[in-house]
Amino acid sequence: MAEKEMENLNAGKLNVGEDVIGDRPRRYQRRRPRNVMPDYVDWKDVDFLRNFIPERGKIMPRRISGISAKDQRRLAKAIKRARTMAMLPFVAD
Amino acid sequence: MANRTYEVMYIIDPDIPQETIGKLNEAVGKVIEKEGATVVRMDDVGRKRLAYPIQKKNEGYYVLFEIDGSGKEIAELERRMRVNDMILRYITVRVDEDRKTADKLRAKRETKATKRAKFRESGETAEASAEA
Repeated sequence: MAEKEMENLNAGKLNVGEDVIGDRPRRYQRRRPRNVMPDYVDWKDVDFLRNFIPERGKIMPRRISGISAKDQRRLAKAIKRARTMAMLPFVAD
Repeated sequence: MANRTYEVMYIIDPDIPQETIGKLNEAVGKVIEKEGATVVRMDDVGRKRLAYPIQKKNEGYYVLFEIDGSGKEIAELERRMRVNDMILRYITVRVDEDRKTADKLRAKRETKATKRAKFRESGETAEASAEA
């Protein structure tokens, strides 16, 4: 429940939603870089990592999160480490 | 061997009594020191809900160690943790290199910021003198 609320909050911040051009909804939200990515992505900082995992528990793709390739690699690694230690789910439903 | 910093985290079975957990943590610390490494930080995170069940347990007792050493003690420590039934899961992460790059990035950003501030300042003074 609380997770769902946070999910919505994130969606609002990223402006993900129905972005209509003409009568056809655009497939993907334009990349919108997050302003701050820390120098060191801590795999123990679950609250931060949760910003980048949508409802299903998957890692948010770069085309949506809008972060740089380098940051995405570091982020993915951190999320995977957190998953091994059961701090984040592999699949959430 | 060069100095390396590791983070070692493990999850202990939540059904184990508190004193045994304390003893286990002490034992881990002893193993580390016996192998010639030093414990920088020991963090008893405590009981937390697991994101998914491990060995049919929904909770776990998290403990985090930060170790300064050569890397040899990690092999010994991991071997012992693997054998121990009380430890549900463990992870070892080498952090010194990533921290160093993070420091470098921060330093770069700071020098950039000071340079920019200086430039802005000089621009303002130039404007002020032009007005006068």
